[in-house]
Amino acid sequence: MPKKKDRTALLYGLAMRYSKFYGGKISVMPNVPIRSLDDFSIWYTPGVAAVSRAIEKDHDLSFELTSRWNTIAIVSDGTRVLGLGNVGPEAAMPVMEGKAMIFKYLGGVNAVPITVGVHDQQEIFNTVKALEPAFGGFNLEDIESPKCFFLLDSLRKEVKVPVWHDDQQGTAGATLAGLFSAIKLTGRKAADTKIVFLGTGAANIATVRILTSAGFEAGNIIMVDSSGILEPEREDMDELSLHNPWKYDIAIKTNAERVKGGLEEALNGADVLVAASKPGPSTFPKEYIKGMNRNSIVFALANPVPEIWPWEAKEMGARIVATGRSDFPNQVNNSIIFPSLFRGALDCRASTITDEMIVAASSELAKYAHDNGANDDHIIPTMQDWDVYPKVAAAVAMKAVEQRIARHSMSSKKFHDRAKAIMDASKSMVSTLIKNKLIKMPPS
Amino acid sequence: MVKIDSKIRFRDALENDTDSLTDLVVRLKRLNEEFDSMLKVRDDIREQARTYVSKAIKDKNCIVLVVESEGKVIGLLKADLRERFFNEPATEGRIIEFYIMPEFRKHEVGTELMRLALDKMKHKGVKIVSAEFPSQNKISVEFYAKQGFRPITNIHAKML
Repeated sequence: MPKKKDRTALLYGLAMRYSKFYGGKISVMPNVPIRSLDDFSIWYTPGVAAVSRAIEKDHDLSFELTSRWNTIAIVSDGTRVLGLGNVGPEAAMPVMEGKAMIFKYLGGVNAVPITVGVHDQQEIFNTVKALEPAFGGFNLEDIESPKCFFLLDSLRKEVKVPVWHDDQQGTAGATLAGLFSAIKLTGRKAADTKIVFLGTGAANIATVRILTSAGFEAGNIIMVDSSGILEPEREDMDELSLHNPWKYDIAIKTNAERVKGGLEEALNGADVLVAASKPGPSTFPKEYIKGMNRNSIVFALANPVPEIWPWEAKEMGARIVATGRSDFPNQVNNSIIFPSLFRGALDCRASTITDEMIVAASSELAKYAHDNGANDDHIIPTMQDWDVYPKVAAAVAMKAVEQRIARHSMSSKKFHDRAKAIMDASKSMVSTLIKNKLIKMPPS
Repeated sequence: MVKIDSKIRFRDALENDTDSLTDLVVRLKRLNEEFDSMLKVRDDIREQARTYVSKAIKDKNCIVLVVESEGKVIGLLKADLRERFFNEPATEGRIIEFYIMPEFRKHEVGTELMRLALDKMKHKGVKIVSAEFPSQNKISVEFYAKQGFRPITNIHAKML
């Protein structure tokens, strides 16, 4: 793939030059008019004292009188960054800045990148907990497994604002959206669909957890890792119970038929393959797909090269193929989930993000695709489908209201319109700044 | 009274359980290895376990109980009956191997297996029961504490 390599090299070069030119991708901007320095006495001292006193009496007012209602922290220790691995907190910063930029542009969410110089899970937990008074939510990012499971589970219990781990829940939500759509196109029911997961990293483990909240049967799921099919009698189960209890738990609950062996045995009679493992090509022999049921569905999500090329999967009998890439049909992409999901969670002031809220987001994405002529090569919306973002935000907020974890309740239309206004304002702000040359064009 | 799944059965070990019990002992020793490098298993663990299990099943001073589910052995408890030279009471039952397959844990199977083993020991005149397990195994520490056990001696080790 020389063309692909050339393009990657070009993008690397531009990213380095532009990063130097702009000195980072985000900044903090005042949100209030500063007509003269006299206004400082309202926004800062002495006026601000009244606001502080009010919040001192009622901490909840911090969501109304400060920007906390719309500000989240993106927290990473840099131990599992994109395809780079453990690059550390300083090197993780450009990625977190990029994430913050997407949060703002697509979701209208103020996201502050915080890369931390601690790696112990309890220390990260303590850090996030200590930051709670300043933020309306937390997005955990690029933290290695199984530490990320501990952090998400424990922070979800302890922190009273939404906590999200995009590598788990974002990928799970996007995958679920694709699955909802693909099983509808192939005439399947969730409860009867047999799904094989290749790879037992954070994304697939989270996806299995979400699927069981979305009508899929745990017993119909088989997970496969480098040691073969995961099942309760596997020899490493005791080791997993001590070091990765989340994977252990899934091994107990899935694979009701107790299938043993490897990927080939797992795929025999399966309806769906979700691969999030080693980058391809040819991570596994393409012939394995032949053993799947008719009209099979293959999600090959490794980046930059999927585990199996889409055309190879189709040649072997797959009907619908999705990947993580934007240059192939059916891109399974977290970016269609996290900005709008957080928008919805913040707008209704949810105290947490439940699995059901993620399922609601995925359902809305699949519905949008089907309302707009879904087909085998268009199972989920793309990032350019601007209308879908506020719809997802409203669906998430309404689910939180239904689950009685929202502090603000409105109609679905009002949630939608509010989300759309904030999202539109965010894009408009960027275009206005560009137009006024306050965001400069990159050097030629 | 704890309600155990009707498919679960408890019984004495038989000679034809040797293969299944060997597997369980190997699993248990590998689990113990996770807690401390000084419990690293030998390369010939499987042969050793087989010999050990065969002897234990035949040994009158051993109690070997098995748990089965739908005919498959899924748990074991092996205890040795020992003479205490200096202490009262003189006959001690020492639980050496205690293992339940992962998917059957947290269903009170272990508790019931323990109850049956203690009953059996009482019938054999045992007045004090003890258990051996890795110090770092906090799940075992909690389990035995819940069953009324408390530490009475410590074994400390170092590599030479």
